[in-house]
Amino acid sequence: MTETQPPTHEVGAQDDIELRLGANLVHLPVIRSVAASIAMRADFDLDAIADLRLAVDEACSTLITRAEPGSTMVCRFTIDDAELRFSGAVVSSAGEAPSTASFGWRVLTTLADSASSWIEPGAHNGQRNWVHIELAKRKPAFT
Amino acid sequence: MTERNGQESGYENIEPLFEELRAATPGEARYRALREEIVTRSLPLAEHIARRFAGRGEARDDLLQVARLGLLHAIDRFDPSRGSEFVAFAVPTIMGEVRKHFRDASWAVRVPRRLKELHLTLSQAGGQLAQRLGRAPTPSELAAELGLSSEDVWEGLLAGNAYHSVSMDAPRDDEGGLPLAETVGDDDAGLESVEYHESLQPLLADLPERERRVVMLRFFGNMTQTQIAERLGISQMHVSRLLARTLEFLRAKLSE
Repeated sequence: MTETQPPTHEVGAQDDIELRLGANLVHLPVIRSVAASIAMRADFDLDAIADLRLAVDEACSTLITRAEPGSTMVCRFTIDDAELRFSGAVVSSAGEAPSTASFGWRVLTTLADSASSWIEPGAHNGQRNWVHIELAKRKPAFT
Repeated sequence: MTERNGQESGYENIEPLFEELRAATPGEARYRALREEIVTRSLPLAEHIARRFAGRGEARDDLLQVARLGLLHAIDRFDPSRGSEFVAFAVPTIMGEVRKHFRDASWAVRVPRRLKELHLTLSQAGGQLAQRLGRAPTPSELAAELGLSSEDVWEGLLAGNAYHSVSMDAPRDDEGGLPLAETVGDDDAGLESVEYHESLQPLLADLPERERRVVMLRFFGNMTQTQIAERLGISQMHVSRLLARTLEFLRAKLSE
């Protein structure tokens, strides 16, 4: 399979953290640890850290199960004073964004403060699309 | 209700109570009162066994909760007509539950002892701070409370991720007469709005009791992990582990 451009158009801020890994469930622990690590260092409370970990897990599982076999998943973490954002994308032959009526989406929206998913038509090949999931966890107000 | 000798306490000579319990009708006030008395009198058994397993890297509260669960199993299964003593039946049942917990929550990889202890310290301090603050603490609050550096706290928190997440397909005990009412009920209403809830419902119903409660309270009862931890008498980190592995299990089952 030809290497595909990452789906994000803008160049991330210097503090952004981007991971590129095989779209395979075996890599989930790595992404979870990175998510927890970033949230910890940003001093999110323990509930928010644990929720973010689970939310990223859920989002990535959803993406990986839709990814083309042997393709790459791109994940980016962005943090500012207000919130931590995660966005992930995979190349997929799926024509639709993941359902927002599923149990998984219920899980995701309970754990995160906001979540969205969408389809972006592939630039090189009309048959393959990018499936995106983005979620944000706000920094608790008391800190 | 018959007048009982007020001196009677503890789990010695508790067998006659079981005979009365088995003769009573479940659900009736008398049955509940008898069961309550048996539970109260035999609680020291659970506490004793929990103490024996203390210091092996599990939070004290978690241990006690698990031992109590084992005690409830023993109470619901003990058959006084077989002539044995309740204690002789209850001790192995409670120990079995505690051992199962250790199996469930054992460290997946060899984590240095220092990190295990650090994680345990954080888990306990986290619970105490949550009580005081009315919300989950942050790593910097934990560091201040324990006089540790932030780096130590981060390291200790991450060490918790090395906890085993045991496959939920493993055979589990029949959890018979436990109070399930809290699990389902009102929270269940939210299920209807989820697609494929007809395939989700039986999966949820088949989960071990604690796992189901944790999932329902978090995703359909709108409670935080810290609130759930307090409700169930276990640590927030334990709730987190239960959620992680249950969600993984449900994902796998739902995609079958």
